Amino acid sequence: MTSSVSAPVSDVDLFAPDVLADPYAAYRELRDTAPAVRLSTYPIWVLTRYEDVRAGLADWQSFTSAQGVALTDEMNAPMLGGVLATDPPEHDVLRSVLSEKLAPRVLARLRADIAQRADALVAQVVARGSFDAVTELAQPLPVDVVADLIGLPLAGREKLLPGADATFASFGPLDERMQARMPVFMDYLGYMQSVSDPSVLAPGSWGAAVFDAVDAGRIPAETAGPLLTAYLVAGMDTTVAAIAAYTRHLAEDPELFATLKADPSLIASGFEEALRIESPVLGFFRNTTRDVDVSGVVVPAGSRVLLSNASANRDERHYADPDRFDVRRNPLDHLAFGYATHGCAGQGLARIEAQSLIGSLLRRVDRIELAGDPGRHEHPVVRGLESLPLTVVPAGQG
Amino acid sequence: MQVHADRDRCEGHGLCADVAPEVYELDDDAVVVLRHDQVPAELERKAEAGARVCPVAALRVLP
Repeated sequence: MTSSVSAPVSDVDLFAPDVLADPYAAYRELRDTAPAVRLSTYPIWVLTRYEDVRAGLADWQSFTSAQGVALTDEMNAPMLGGVLATDPPEHDVLRSVLSEKLAPRVLARLRADIAQRADALVAQVVARGSFDAVTELAQPLPVDVVADLIGLPLAGREKLLPGADATFASFGPLDERMQARMPVFMDYLGYMQSVSDPSVLAPGSWGAAVFDAVDAGRIPAETAGPLLTAYLVAGMDTTVAAIAAYTRHLAEDPELFATLKADPSLIASGFEEALRIESPVLGFFRNTTRDVDVSGVVVPAGSRVLLSNASANRDERHYADPDRFDVRRNPLDHLAFGYATHGCAGQGLARIEAQSLIGSLLRRVDRIELAGDPGRHEHPVVRGLESLPLTVVPAGQG
Repeated sequence: MQVHADRDRCEGHGLCADVAPEVYELDDDAVVVLRHDQVPAELERKAEAGARVCPVAALRVLP
């Protein structure tokens, strides 16, 4: 690679276990090195500053998704033509099938039902006094809610979380860690194919609507499977990670807990801050269609580029004191959901799920504490916890 | 100052109206509507803030 002798190069390995365990020092180093940095460890460039990542996400003409948004060609190939891996105008037709179901005005009708489910779940774990907030609190709600909305049969739902986890992992390096996930990934591909069938999806469901769109001639038949895949992957481990991260802050910071309990109107702002400071999706890849000037550094045409949402959200050039959780910051311009063309279509649903769960937790407990060290789940693309052991004092019993 | 709202791109996330209800509202179909053709000077900062948080980049402040 001799594209430019002056191109800033870094030897940081963004997928090394110690970096994945705590990537923020590496991100800071990259941000301070240059607006765009070429890595020696993988054949990619990385953008880490807020304004550059945001501009890159908005500029689909220069940073195309149509060659896939994963690190490797092998794993880009199967996603081509899907909603994540297309540009306008093809992308917009596919997205409209999802976004008409995920539009907040439609979701508003689901809010009461989701709040009720969340409250029942919280009541159940709080009654036990101690529980794991990842496996028993953060995981069940998104899986149940999304599976019902897609219209999936009950049998097989246990595949959703590990399957989504493995699918997102396939966006990262095709190394021995991905090889270890390959059986789950392959199994999930089979599962997704088996439910890509209008006869197994509940009538009136989001899944059924995808096939209705095919029947109506809105989208080509071959896009139905990939669109269903988007539903089956996007809103599982990502949402779980965000809810767990928020819950962890509540458990580790009694002052934050007290502030939110006294003023639940801050729950929404707190969720945005949790997303900012622990962005579940670390970043996706793009490919440059031309030489692109990124704040003075030229990224050559044909480069694969990581747009680091998680680094952008910690950029001190944009957020004052970025490593501090400030419940009143309300950073609605964060890039945890991406931005622009491929901005998360389901972000409204994620907000309802998280706000409902945290709202119930705050109502139903007076105190919340870590009962052990939280366990990090090693993953190349989605940053989340494996376990979060908590003890709680139920409201009115403290 | 003027704001351009791309109503085709708007998905009704409503963050603009949360941040700057004096500038943006959602119509009955939850598509963004501008309250002013010309943003009053005292609302310019709010208009910018509201445009900035649009998750799908449907709002653009015109110089």
